[in-house]
Amino acid sequence: MVIRKKKGEVKMKKFLIFLLTAVMLLSLGLVSVQADDLKVALVVAGAFGDRSFYDSSKAGLDRLIKEKGIDGVTIECNNENHDIQLRNAAEKADVVVAVGWEFYNVEEIAPDYPEVKFIWIDNATYEPIDNLLNITYAQNEGSFLAGYIAAAVSKTGVVGAVGGEDADTINDFIAGYRQGAEYYGTENGKDITVEVNYANSYDDPALGKDCAIALNDKGADVIFNIASAAGDGIFEAGAERGFYAIGVDSDQKYIAPDVIIASMKKEVGTSIFDAVSKFVDGDDSQLGTTWVADMATGYIGIGYGDDDMPQQVPDEVKDAISGIAQKIIDGEIVVETTRS
Amino acid sequence: MNDFGLLFNTVFSTGLFNEMLRRATPVAIAAIGGALTQHAGIMNIGMDGMILMGAFFGVLGSSIFGSAWAGLGLAVLVGVLVGLFFGLFVVKFKSDEFIIGTALNTFAVGLTSFLSRSIFGTQGAKGYPSLPNVTIPGFDKVPVLGAILNGHSLFVYLTWLLVLLFYLYIYRTPQGFWLRASGEKPQTLRTAGIAPERMKWTASILCGVLCCIAGAHLSLGYLNGTFAEKMSNSRGYIAFACVIFAASNPAKAYLAALMFGFFDAIGLRLQAYISSDLTSIIPYAITIIMMTYVVVSTRKKREKIHRRADI
Repeated sequence: MVIRKKKGEVKMKKFLIFLLTAVMLLSLGLVSVQADDLKVALVVAGAFGDRSFYDSSKAGLDRLIKEKGIDGVTIECNNENHDIQLRNAAEKADVVVAVGWEFYNVEEIAPDYPEVKFIWIDNATYEPIDNLLNITYAQNEGSFLAGYIAAAVSKTGVVGAVGGEDADTINDFIAGYRQGAEYYGTENGKDITVEVNYANSYDDPALGKDCAIALNDKGADVIFNIASAAGDGIFEAGAERGFYAIGVDSDQKYIAPDVIIASMKKEVGTSIFDAVSKFVDGDDSQLGTTWVADMATGYIGIGYGDDDMPQQVPDEVKDAISGIAQKIIDGEIVVETTRS
Repeated sequence: MNDFGLLFNTVFSTGLFNEMLRRATPVAIAAIGGALTQHAGIMNIGMDGMILMGAFFGVLGSSIFGSAWAGLGLAVLVGVLVGLFFGLFVVKFKSDEFIIGTALNTFAVGLTSFLSRSIFGTQGAKGYPSLPNVTIPGFDKVPVLGAILNGHSLFVYLTWLLVLLFYLYIYRTPQGFWLRASGEKPQTLRTAGIAPERMKWTASILCGVLCCIAGAHLSLGYLNGTFAEKMSNSRGYIAFACVIFAASNPAKAYLAALMFGFFDAIGLRLQAYISSDLTSIIPYAITIIMMTYVVVSTRKKREKIHRRADI
């Protein structure tokens, strides 16, 4: 038996197909009409809500939308499909900001989209690429100050650092931190030991806590967090056992004002804002270069939280820090680095 | 020689054993649950996701009701639901356990990340009421043992009780006998008038509850009311390895968890002398060695039985 479709049903279907096609064509037209504003796509390797690195980049984009009137899109990779997301972004936007050292394939992707301007945050390509700006951060310089503060506040003369993994970027923090702590030691005739361990995880706060406790067992009473979310465990261990911690990437003091005495700040958002602003103003001269955002340019520094929070770092140490920061800017102190 | 003595003293401190106990606890609680499903003939690869759910809903409950006990309660409730979910697919629909377990792990990461960001606004949450630490007055004066055993979070001690309870349940009660039969010889159990499915359901629900307790302990006891995305960090898989190594005996699984904790803690302390990339291999290298031992020893046992049967 053949089931025959009613005439009305067929008509309905035809009408629906017509309607859908019309909507699609119209939306295509709308997209091409809107193309006046500069389209900026922010692609982050992880996800927003980390209260640190990625959120800072988002703040930069929000400021661009507000002050420069650009059209902003965000894409979160959640630590997978970096290449595909980067290509997706490049097909839609005029400027693609890749946030995270993980986007190393930008080296091959960027040349495929010569019309699109790329910015790569926190890492640099081996060879300069015509439509790509690399922004790296002199975290070693800020960590030098963190090390100095740690050594100055420490009572035991042992300061610690918990790293996320044994990798170049993390070791760049550690190199500066170690040098800064030892600088304080020689300056003030104090014996300073720097103890480091790696959590081998950025996600597991319980591991970070164990790492911090192990360092505290060795006598460390100020511990530097270089392990993202795993570092939350350091702050907890500090509250439980009565030692201090130093925050990382953004001013983290508000998370635990009694434990975190200072934070090493990387102004990721501001650097993105400044770089894209130049594109908006029609200045493309920075493409094809690597820009090291350092202390001299003001993108690296130390934060002590807000004034109403308890301040554990004595004022004379804060003054000394400003002096040392100037010496680093002037090149009087050369901070060691593991960046290539 | 003197150098070696110094190394020995810095590595083998009371802190090492303290950390061993802390690290072993969440793995051990999950492993008890894994032992139950393993006895019921279910290969449960989804424990990691269950732990993550427990960790999240523990903190969520703690934040909503302002009490860690309510958090624990919510985690247990979610554990029942997760167990039912797992049982529905594995026992009722007889789907592939491996696929369902893997799906559960992926689902747990997605769900907890989504809820964490939409409820707390960040990738994690911290500072909510946590479970108490237990300090026995006077015990801390006992040399060595006091430093190792005193002052831990509640569940470090409750785990001993759980191990004992479930050991008795599995090996000393009729239900435990049925549970084991449901995995080994389901037809025999059916002829005895008991549905093997009933025991499989029980096992998967109890496993869900225990894994979620393990997670709640991780976020509310191990940490002080802190959740972070993917914080289970493969503990479920380590628990699974413990179950296999212990031939599903909860007491042996606890010992296996202690061993993992021990080698993790040693690895952390050896970082001062060896590259951290190498020390992080230790638990996985131990797993391979353990598994080889299990395979070889069970084969020997089987051969012995066969030989006896020949005579």
